[in-house]
Amino acid sequence: MSMTDSLQETKVDALLSNASRREFLRRSGIVGGGLIVGVSLSSCSDVGPAIDASKGKFTPNAFLQISSDGVINFHNPRDEMGQGVYMGLTTLIAEELNTHPDKINVVIVDAHPDYAAPSSGFQATGGSGSIRDHYLPLRQAAANARELLLQAAGTSLGVAADKLRLQDARILHGSKDYSIGQFADAAEALPLQNDAALKSPGQFLFIGKEIPRIDAIAKSTGTAPYGIDADMENLHRAVVRHSPVPGGKVKSFDASKAKAVPGVVDVIEIHTGVAVVAEHYWPAKKAAALIDVEWDSPKELSGVSSASIRADYEAAMRSDEGEVYVETNDAPDTGAAEYTLEADYWSPYLSHSPMEPMNGTVRIQGDTAEAWAGSQGPITVQGMVTRYAGIDADKVTVHGLFSGGGFGRRAYVTHVGEAAALARITGLPIQVVWSRETDTQNGWFRPASLVNIKASLDSDGIINDWQAKRVGANITPEMVAQIMPVVLPSVPQGVVNVASGVARSAHDGWIVDHSSLEGLYDDYDWPNKRIIHKSVNHGIPTLFWRSVGHSYTAFAKECAVDELALQANIDPIELRLRNCRNNPRLANVIRRAGEVYSKGDTENSRFLGFAAHTSFQSHVAQVAEVSVANNDIRVHKVTCVVDCGVAVNPQIVRDQMSGAIMFGLTAALYGEIDIVNGAVKQSNFHDYPILRMTEAPEVDVIIIDSAEAPTGVGEPGLPPIGPAVANAVFRATGQRLRDMPLRLA
Amino acid sequence: MIRFTLNGQAVSSDVSDDTPLLWVVRDEFKLKGSKFGCGAGLCGACTLHIDGKAQRSCVLPISVVAGKAVTTIEGLGSPQEMHPLQKRWAELGVPQCGYCQSGQIMSAAALLSANSEPTEEQVEQAMAGNICRCGCYPGIKQAIMDVAKLSVTENEAVAYYTPKSHEREA
Repeated sequence: MSMTDSLQETKVDALLSNASRREFLRRSGIVGGGLIVGVSLSSCSDVGPAIDASKGKFTPNAFLQISSDGVINFHNPRDEMGQGVYMGLTTLIAEELNTHPDKINVVIVDAHPDYAAPSSGFQATGGSGSIRDHYLPLRQAAANARELLLQAAGTSLGVAADKLRLQDARILHGSKDYSIGQFADAAEALPLQNDAALKSPGQFLFIGKEIPRIDAIAKSTGTAPYGIDADMENLHRAVVRHSPVPGGKVKSFDASKAKAVPGVVDVIEIHTGVAVVAEHYWPAKKAAALIDVEWDSPKELSGVSSASIRADYEAAMRSDEGEVYVETNDAPDTGAAEYTLEADYWSPYLSHSPMEPMNGTVRIQGDTAEAWAGSQGPITVQGMVTRYAGIDADKVTVHGLFSGGGFGRRAYVTHVGEAAALARITGLPIQVVWSRETDTQNGWFRPASLVNIKASLDSDGIINDWQAKRVGANITPEMVAQIMPVVLPSVPQGVVNVASGVARSAHDGWIVDHSSLEGLYDDYDWPNKRIIHKSVNHGIPTLFWRSVGHSYTAFAKECAVDELALQANIDPIELRLRNCRNNPRLANVIRRAGEVYSKGDTENSRFLGFAAHTSFQSHVAQVAEVSVANNDIRVHKVTCVVDCGVAVNPQIVRDQMSGAIMFGLTAALYGEIDIVNGAVKQSNFHDYPILRMTEAPEVDVIIIDSAEAPTGVGEPGLPPIGPAVANAVFRATGQRLRDMPLRLA
Repeated sequence: MIRFTLNGQAVSSDVSDDTPLLWVVRDEFKLKGSKFGCGAGLCGACTLHIDGKAQRSCVLPISVVAGKAVTTIEGLGSPQEMHPLQKRWAELGVPQCGYCQSGQIMSAAALLSANSEPTEEQVEQAMAGNICRCGCYPGIKQAIMDVAKLSVTENEAVAYYTPKSHEREA
């Protein structure tokens, strides 16, 4: 059924009686019809309602259920991985129900089409889009529920609904108050309401207020459940040996030593490698190291190393063969170029390295299955079980859990497919746990990138020519290969391979993957600009990594602008402002952070660096205070100014900015995944170091007061920090570092 | 058969001697608060106390704890009865993903037991073995400094806490 067909059907619903209309709406996923999330894909399939609306419960839509005992259950459609949606989205519900967020019970949802994200159409969490996507729809869902409860209470109490108020899960009437649960049945029987009035910002009780996150107690007492905590009777653990070179297949293996380890149940070849199944994790881990595996590695990766990749990128940069012009503006060069710059900026492969290593648990019982995993999309978990255990999707229950970090990594859940295959083969409930080494070496990486900037500045300090060319791999073709099997689990692998091959040649030829270049052409005015892409893909698996393309484009752009300012001897804040007339909100954060920067270098031997960047529709400017001793770069303090529209929870906004700065500093100071003969060299935190408390700067976050719609928060704090530090290092040392990580010679 | 005390309760385990304590605590005694992060003692997510001292349980063979007292995050406090550090952590909303926080809090508790008034630098040094990939370091540091500043009476639990027994689940 096409979307148009299902839209036509919504018009027919006026003819249906109330009860059946409600059922139709539920079954079709057009829950709370006025919601922006109105039409979902479930109208094409045979799935049941998202929430079991058994009698005695008020279930106005897929997000809310109010029980007869007055408990408000919020079925949270987005995954919590630290970014704060558990609190932020609950706050939206809480606001329209006038009920404190800590009085709302948050349910982590199963896979269901009603929970597709409005912007992507998939039940996925990412792109810093959760608050932006749900700010109005979830408030509307809660406001509709509020109005129905007030109507039901009014009828039941014999008073006009407008004499009643819903507050803290109670209905207030003068000095009397009643549990909302008392009116749940009556509210359930009323016609659905779609367009209840939303509260005005002046009436907000929770949005924009300083309220600690509601998951903090569980996360401070060891009681918050993560995927790795799934446990059950007879649960067996599995450890999988993967090919060191991506895409390698098992040629042969000898498991005799592994099988001799007490506690080992079996050693089994599966689609990703060789798995040891044992009664506990430790014997599985020990035994996995004892398997002798001979791998059939992809020939194209033999001899590929970080140095050869870089050399190939540099050769591609110097040649115009195969270039794709993404955006070009043919206006003639109007200004006399007073100053010119041409420079290459290098960013290596990076690992996400969330603290919770990849893991997934699957139990098969008859023709049904259950899966436990933290992910960035329960549908991917469900699809993996369908594909590798052969269980129909509607018979797979996904138990969503907290994720110990995501940063993009949990978009792919290969590990759940491994657990599904092993559960099918052994008939046992299986938990696959990746070691840190596997997590570091056998996953997906932020693509390495070489960005060349050619720019010129006229005598008025206007950047009149701007050419940016990026060489590197695209992420989207890889996504076709990874996501197609989970959203269309019955499609044969051959078709997936063909589709991803087509996607690759398309992206390498005539379609540009926006995520490869984002951030290179939006921020400044640039009257003459040319943005060029050259795809070079060695076959190292790539994936979205916190802030995606912005993580390397901001480095090139903000260092280049700083270099131009220094050449022309123009204040770097002033230069940015002169070139930022078409991006007033970015100009505003530059001005605010510029006040800190302009106070000059602070303490003795400390130097300031500045950078600003727009990403995920938010605008961020940062000032880094840096010192250098014995070639060691130390970042003491970062001031961060952010305009993200309405800050639903200012504390979480500050924490996300600060956290993204720490994440970006790890990349700027240490981050590097090296390739040796096609395999990843680093393996654990000793050679892939993460910023520690002793190295962490003080962070001061200033949030611009705004009534604009909320925009991204999880990622936009990251892009400016690398260039801000590099710009400070230049002032401290005179060395212009154009390679990440930043290393002084 | 290794006998030891777990959160105040006498227990025993007959797993192989080289099994790291972390997996015994998590999978045999079902105390899931201590986390697996690196398996090499590099990140601190598995930190718990042995005779009051912070230890990385992912690299500690079970044989080492024979006759010793092991305290996990569950023994430090519960949502109903939080240790002052846990309480401050929650009030400040310190955790983001939260996965490393049990280990962070156990390192902090061991620090405050040994030194109830640490300087900022001493806090940083004591916490340097605990990685937080979300970068919650400013909040962690503030929570520890805040608890250290509590009056002696309020802070009694920090210096002299008694591990609470935790029922072993079936």
